[in-house]
Amino acid sequence: MYFKKNFNKSFNILLLRILIIFVFILVSFFIIIPLLPLFLKSFSDNKNNFIGLENFINYIQNPSLTQSFINSLKVAITTTFFSVLIGFIYAYALTRTRLPLKKFFNTFSLFSLYIPPLAVAIGLIYIFGKQGLITQGFFGTIPGFDINLYGFNGIIIGEIFYCFPQALIILVSALNLSDQRLYEAAESLKASPLRKFLTITLPNIKYGLMNSFFICFILSFTDFGVPKVVGGNFNVLATDIYKQVVGQQNFAMGATISIYLLVPSILAFLIDKNFRKNEASLISGKSIPFKPRKNLIVDSIMFIFCSLILILVIGVFSSIVLASLIKIWPYDISLSLQNFRFSNVAGNGYEPYFNTVFMSIYTAIFGTIFVFFTAYLVEKFKPLKKIRMLIYFFSTLPIAIPGLVLGLSYILFFNKPSFSVPFLDFQIFNPFSLLYGTMGILVLANIIHFFTVCFISATTTLKQIDKEFEEVSESLKVPFYKTFLRITIPLSLPTILEIGSYYFVNSMITVSAIIFLYPAKIPVSSVSIVNMDDAGDTASAAAMSTLIVLTSLFVRLIYEFTSRNISKKSSVWINPLET
Amino acid sequence: MIKKEGSFKYLEIKNISKNFGETFVLKNIHLDVFKGEFLCLLGPSGCGKTTLLRIISGLERQTNGDIVQDGLLISNSPTEKRDFGIVFQSYALFPNLNAKQNIAYGLENKKINKKEIEKRTNNLLRLVGLEKYSDQFPSQLSGGQQQRVALARAMALSPGLLLLDEPLSALDAQVRSKLRNEIKLIQKKLNLTTIMVTHDQTEALSMADRVVVMERGHIAQIGTPFELYENPITPFVADFIGKMNLLKGKYDKKNYVFYYLNNRFLISQNTEYSFLENCLLGIRPEDIEIIKFRKNIEKEENILRVKIKEITYLGTIFRLTVVLESKLEENIFVDVISNQVVSNNLKIGDFIDIKLKKEKIKLFESNL
Repeated sequence: MYFKKNFNKSFNILLLRILIIFVFILVSFFIIIPLLPLFLKSFSDNKNNFIGLENFINYIQNPSLTQSFINSLKVAITTTFFSVLIGFIYAYALTRTRLPLKKFFNTFSLFSLYIPPLAVAIGLIYIFGKQGLITQGFFGTIPGFDINLYGFNGIIIGEIFYCFPQALIILVSALNLSDQRLYEAAESLKASPLRKFLTITLPNIKYGLMNSFFICFILSFTDFGVPKVVGGNFNVLATDIYKQVVGQQNFAMGATISIYLLVPSILAFLIDKNFRKNEASLISGKSIPFKPRKNLIVDSIMFIFCSLILILVIGVFSSIVLASLIKIWPYDISLSLQNFRFSNVAGNGYEPYFNTVFMSIYTAIFGTIFVFFTAYLVEKFKPLKKIRMLIYFFSTLPIAIPGLVLGLSYILFFNKPSFSVPFLDFQIFNPFSLLYGTMGILVLANIIHFFTVCFISATTTLKQIDKEFEEVSESLKVPFYKTFLRITIPLSLPTILEIGSYYFVNSMITVSAIIFLYPAKIPVSSVSIVNMDDAGDTASAAAMSTLIVLTSLFVRLIYEFTSRNISKKSSVWINPLET
Repeated sequence: MIKKEGSFKYLEIKNISKNFGETFVLKNIHLDVFKGEFLCLLGPSGCGKTTLLRIISGLERQTNGDIVQDGLLISNSPTEKRDFGIVFQSYALFPNLNAKQNIAYGLENKKINKKEIEKRTNNLLRLVGLEKYSDQFPSQLSGGQQQRVALARAMALSPGLLLLDEPLSALDAQVRSKLRNEIKLIQKKLNLTTIMVTHDQTEALSMADRVVVMERGHIAQIGTPFELYENPITPFVADFIGKMNLLKGKYDKKNYVFYYLNNRFLISQNTEYSFLENCLLGIRPEDIEIIKFRKNIEKEENILRVKIKEITYLGTIFRLTVVLESKLEENIFVDVISNQVVSNNLKIGDFIDIKLKKEKIKLFESNL
């Protein structure tokens, strides 16, 4: 045996501490600190004089603005109710019945995840709008039917399209965690189907249900795309902010309305967080998954229900594609590709499209690295517990920050070349201002905007990897970063790819976070959809939407293909995360 | 404490405590481990044995106290600077590396050339009898094989100390007893100082040179398996190592007599017990004799008339659960060789006389 000198200080632990503090600084500067100038702005006039609560009082005293707040709440509550209801029935059909063609229904239900809300709204125009297929009875072949799309109705339909798949994902995974034995035990005790539902099914998914309420509420309360296109005169907070900032350059009022948008979202976030504090899995690793039995009546009802939903989703998508291919709807319905030229319209040819693709690629690459590394540092190590808990909290926050609010706060924060220290005549250079006006700020805004979902998914995966791997490595004198590269990353590869594809798709379709931020020299496609639609060129907007959807679907296909290959390769050592 | 002839203290644990606020997990632990010794930390869950192992490894930090390994003070050294190998209960084998790569994991990090790594890895594979399985991934290996890979990996850097955290408890009974012998053989062959945590007394007794019995954060007793079984110093140790009947009564020091209810028991005069008159009488089930068919019972000492409440078949022996008519809720266990039960046709409800062997009776201080 050998004698060694005894070092009390370890380079690795020091490195780890530095990394954790570094990530903490980044997360603070990207998530929390940009909100401060927004708050300050809401207490100032447009010349940056402090005016206290005046903006808020002006807001409340302006009936048309307060109406927007009430409208937003109405939209959010209605949408949440219907999205969760539809999502639940659909999820129940997928997990707890013998629905025919289950795989098909499963795959296509998530189809609308790849359609930007803006595009959904445009699709709705072509179905239910003044010249829509249904309104005009399929070009006059059958009697028409007008649902009064522009306004509340249109917003609700569009938002349900947007929110329902989000609720569906959460509820499917909640319903999938089931234990056949519980149902068998209940049956042996002669419980009725209703009793089983109320005493086993519902309690098991209550956290998932709560979470889907929360997600749908925030998404529909803060969405900008749908109300922008089909809102008509029905104003909501999100469109108000846009009008104040882009239309009137009134940043102070924009900031004030942002606070009105932010506060209910944060409240919902805190309620959800508090509710889930007691979350503990009722299902152990040893449970036997629920196996649904045949029930002709239930199965057929579910089949009809799911088919109707799918027909609507596919109908909206087809109408977007159709609209983009038809020369002049509804007067000249011959097919052509002229709408894809984007040359003589509010767009800038294909520049916005390629900008968006590159932005999404950068977001996918840098976002995935940043989010995974952050989750890794938070989840796997012991030092600096309080700081790691703060990083965790900050990382879960962006889901409650509406895109428009994030965008506005980024403008206010990143365009400042320096900070002035209060009460001292002293200026500190703001290094982040270098990002302003570059693609970088768009990528950063996207990374943060979608941070929470990716962070939670990375954390969940890392939790499933035995924490003793790190301890074994320590005992074998292998530094943590080698284990990270050689063990943790290969084991997490499926999740890493999933995060990358999520970032890509969402960056492709998002508009709210970047509409205030995009530099004039870097036009992006989702903003050009807004502009083309504003200019009345709906067909080109539909064409751009089609491109976005097809690109997202293409990337998703590549993802499916790659991840299937990976799981084939890794099936030798059976990916422990899949079980 | 027992000191072995010719061995030196390899690991000294000095006054180690670990607490979270007011709750003590470990309290003033003193322990010396000798070079080449196989030591077991034995105790029920929550007794602090795993915490002590983790403190030795540096994966957890003690609140107080020092650890000296091989003459070096390592109390505050980080894990990676300490000289040990560890096997976890879950094995924690890297699932994406095969058996060979798992074993080589620590070696590859050192600046050793590939041939040398290859040679040492192969030696280790041979040592644990897995030459044929070197390319298999953990999911393709049985529990016992995984355990061997974990053992080989822990020994790859030729550590001075091997730590085993319940290494066998995830295995089924047959594999477990086979591996017990193998681990023991390898340990003796390499003369590797080893500390194993277990809650299984059979495992501890069959593998360890010395056993440390722990109870609620302190050491209850240290000794060889034989010493612990024959001379437990507390009722806890007595009942944890093997089985011990404990009867509460009064001790008459002058006359060497123990009173249990209305019964008198004569106690061997070889041991002087200094404690108060309220105490516990301890006797192992195998040290009780059935004397149903002897005559002249009156002349015999230490007899109890009892009723058979249960008969449990345990293979070579039967364990009888018997009770006194005057104290039905207090079970006394008696081990009887099987053929004695069969030939005497003992049944539940029968009355029998049992004799507590005088020289086997122990007295314990009663803290109740």
